[in-house]
Amino acid sequence: MFITLLKKELFVELRNKEVILSMLAFGLTVLLIFSFSLSGNPKINHEIAPGLFWSLVVLSSSLGLHRLFGQEKDFDAFANLLSAPIDRGTLFLAKWISGFLFLFLIEILVVLPFFLFLGLSQPMSYFPGIGIVMLGNLGIVAVGVIVSGMAMRAKMSAVLLPVLLFPLITPLLIACVKATTGWYHLIPFSTWQFWVLIMATYVVIFGLAGYVFFEHITEE
Amino acid sequence: MSFLFQERSLRILFIVSVILMAVNLYAIFFIAPMVPEQHWAQKIFYVHVPIAWSSFLSFFIVMVSGILFFIKKDSYWDRVGLAAAEIGTLFVALVLITGPIWATPIWGKPWIWEPRLTTTLILFLIYIGYFMLRKFGGHPERVARYAAVLGILAFLDVPLIFYSVKFWAPQYQLHPQVEMNQQPDEILLPFFFSMFTFTILYILMLRFRVKISNFQYKLKTKNV
Repeated sequence: MFITLLKKELFVELRNKEVILSMLAFGLTVLLIFSFSLSGNPKINHEIAPGLFWSLVVLSSSLGLHRLFGQEKDFDAFANLLSAPIDRGTLFLAKWISGFLFLFLIEILVVLPFFLFLGLSQPMSYFPGIGIVMLGNLGIVAVGVIVSGMAMRAKMSAVLLPVLLFPLITPLLIACVKATTGWYHLIPFSTWQFWVLIMATYVVIFGLAGYVFFEHITEE
Repeated sequence: MSFLFQERSLRILFIVSVILMAVNLYAIFFIAPMVPEQHWAQKIFYVHVPIAWSSFLSFFIVMVSGILFFIKKDSYWDRVGLAAAEIGTLFVALVLITGPIWATPIWGKPWIWEPRLTTTLILFLIYIGYFMLRKFGGHPERVARYAAVLGILAFLDVPLIFYSVKFWAPQYQLHPQVEMNQQPDEILLPFFFSMFTFTILYILMLRFRVKISNFQYKLKTKNV
């Protein structure tokens, strides 16, 4: 059932590209603002690059997460989905993993202009960075799906989502920036492994919370 | 207003709170010794810490109410959760005001990214979102479920926020609470008395607020 739901999420998104396009366009625009508002000094940009990258991710993701339930809301399809004999936890997992894949795709598309516009040097190794980004995405999207599910049927949902999301993901964001700084600035892993642990803990706690509580969030 | 005092236990609690608070203020200003290097600024500590403790207790009650709401399926626990969230947010706002009042003369600046202060600020922001969700979330039954989930998630987030801020900026580990064990009895006794007084005050406020919520609920549902 999970695979079917995941396929449905990916298929719907590939057809209308609503989440991906909104995140990509917004991400590039934010990147443009970053480029103009900073000093243009590559040395300073190199120092603050991890923080900028995650700011970009969080801002873009809030827009994409807002549209995660967009199709269901617009076509009033959520009630139909809920009437199907599907475990709500599985529904959460499908939304979580699809949201994670969309966000990861955006990061792949944005990372080249990010390095280019800010005049950043290439990292020495890519794999640890990819791992950090994937773990961070899982945490952001886990909370994002919960919050988006709550905000979906609310008035002012576009405002409500970031207001709920940003404070909740603060510890994750700190850990993401610290771990990315450690990797990008070639600091020994032993000094920043704590942050990876915080990220993993966060993903486990909020992943489980989403799985358990999604039933209460989606109940009509 | 008089319906608040219909219950005997509430009347007693109210009188006890008033007496305790009067004694507490006297103890803070006239019994607790003046700390030489902090002078009058240190007196705020007898109010700031008990308020902070009460606010965290309040958010713990929000979480417990959320869990009980899902287990018992009774809207009473939603009203308890809302009452605790309101008082907790009010207390957190007071912590965020009294903290910088103390910090300005002692640390030389009103705000630093110290873990307890930052955790309090983030909790305050989470609860701003909580009340926005309560206000704009839609159907009341649905909002009650959302609020219960958010109350649980917010409390689960507390240790993660605390430790991430603690290790994010280790240079800001200046909070005086870590030195509490070394304080003399003349400071410790008024301090614990103040903690007790504010806890009693908190219980009184919570019971009043729940009573008002119950009354509003009855008015809505049964047209009393």
